[in-house]
Amino acid sequence: MRPRMLGAVLLLCASVAMGFASLVIGTENIELGTVVQEWRAGRPVADSPALSVLFNQRLPRTLAALLGGAGLALAGGVFQALLRNPLATPYTLGIASAGAFGAWIAFILSDAGWFVSGVLGIPSVQVFAFLFAGADVLLVYMLAARKEHSSPAVLLLAGVTMGMLANSGIMLTRYLAAPDRLVAMDRWLMGGVDVLGYRPVWTLTLGVAPCALVLLAQAGKLDQFGFSGELAAGRGVNIKWLQILTFSVGSLMTAIIVSVIGPVGFIGLIVPHAVRALTGPRHYLLLALSLVAGGGFLCFCDIIARKILPGETPIGIVTTLIGGPFFLYLLMRRKFTDWDA
Amino acid sequence: MSCQLIATEVSFAYERDKCVLNGVEATIQDGSVTGIVGPNGSGKSTFLRILAGLLHPDAGSVHLNDRALRSYSGRERARSIAFLPQSISPAFSLSVFEVVCLGRYPHSSAWGSLSAQDVAVASRALVQTQTDALRHRDFGSLSGGERQRVLLASILAQEPRLLLLDEPTSALDIHHQVEVMALLRHLCRDGYGIALVTHDLNLAARFCDRVVLLGATHCIVADGRPEDVLTGPLLSEAYGSTIRVGQHPFAPAPFVMATLPEGDGS
Repeated sequence: MRPRMLGAVLLLCASVAMGFASLVIGTENIELGTVVQEWRAGRPVADSPALSVLFNQRLPRTLAALLGGAGLALAGGVFQALLRNPLATPYTLGIASAGAFGAWIAFILSDAGWFVSGVLGIPSVQVFAFLFAGADVLLVYMLAARKEHSSPAVLLLAGVTMGMLANSGIMLTRYLAAPDRLVAMDRWLMGGVDVLGYRPVWTLTLGVAPCALVLLAQAGKLDQFGFSGELAAGRGVNIKWLQILTFSVGSLMTAIIVSVIGPVGFIGLIVPHAVRALTGPRHYLLLALSLVAGGGFLCFCDIIARKILPGETPIGIVTTLIGGPFFLYLLMRRKFTDWDA
Repeated sequence: MSCQLIATEVSFAYERDKCVLNGVEATIQDGSVTGIVGPNGSGKSTFLRILAGLLHPDAGSVHLNDRALRSYSGRERARSIAFLPQSISPAFSLSVFEVVCLGRYPHSSAWGSLSAQDVAVASRALVQTQTDALRHRDFGSLSGGERQRVLLASILAQEPRLLLLDEPTSALDIHHQVEVMALLRHLCRDGYGIALVTHDLNLAARFCDRVVLLGATHCIVADGRPEDVLTGPLLSEAYGSTIRVGQHPFAPAPFVMATLPEGDGS
């Protein structure tokens, strides 16, 4: 128990450090001393380059990375338990593809002069991505729903098929789109936390915080379900309700994140696995630490994306470039006995 | 206070017009071992799930201590009745002690942290099932017999009064079968009520106080003491083939043998 707690504390510290680093490191590094000095002096943010960069660019960007990464990692841990499958990610059920398809439709519609301003001030790309992801989730669940409870295998097959359908939709829109628009569309697919202002941060906060609380509260039930669904039912876990709740809340959270920062890949797969190597399979620690580590990891990738790699490299590329080799290293080093499935 | 689970006139169908149980009755009482036997597809396992509250009968009722089982919340029910399914395939591996602690779910707080009492109850369950030495082992690395005893420990950690077990010995060799049944007899002496579904009529004959015999028609053929239920005529009726019953060579129990259709000369 002791080494696990120590590892947990270290992980927490590392993530907090990443958050701070993400505030000060960038194309122009910010001197902490300058910030404190100007803040003390009561200079208006607009008059101080350091404060302006910090509050108008770095802070929203860092918050977006923390919230998005945290939510994706948590959703990944939940979906791996829900589907009883180590390969599951928040995108396994087609949410990312459907969201991307929605975003592309929004691109095409706005080119045709429709919905340019979006709904309620939210950009139409975000609205469409969310609506399509939501529709995907509803369809997958309706296809997989059974009288007693849903079989993870049916959910998986329905989700993968819906994802493929959305992908072919993307191919079709690509084929029909004007060539000069493809760059913008592809850029969206690669994801990014280069958000402008605080509105996207609020969207993420309102989307991730309540969903995360609901999902964390299911940890004990996910332990029971992961061990044996029938045994869990005998102990008073309402399996059907657990499936509906975790599935819908996890999907809602993922859909919101994807609509804001794009389908940033790999976090939902690798972070829960890396954390599981540290905490073991019990979900309280696993999900809570995935939340922390996911946020820290996306901040780290964002720092790499804007400081080390040329220009503003899309973050979705960085997560996979860094996460992939690390995950392979984990696979080689550990006997993956955690999963008997 | 005694604990009693009574099923009255229970009927159930998974699909319309495909009756699985037809007016089945049984009483599960603490301090006794009840065997539920019958041919494949007679509805034994379904009946056990209904008794455990996992399925609800289409007609008839199940009462736990004079209160409808359906009116209990899941956790409340699980503090009286524990259910052990036939096969368990964990998605990820836990230690034996963690598996046993999972049994504390019906008693746990909202955040599921284990209290000192939870740990004490789990440790006692390990001792009761003689699995204390395995507590740090990986559940996935256990042998079939060890696995079954650890699973028993995990449902004992629920602190139930009644244990409903679906074929608890079917995956075990002959030595471990008897070992598990002896353990169940021991638990019964401690006051637990046990109901188990089994295909092994001789184990039922030797270790059960009562036997409920379901027939291929999804009705009860007989219900009573093993020597009254496990008779040639009743078993032949239930299984639809000739079954002969003699005396167990060294235990005071009936001994059941199926005969080949053309007779095997015995």
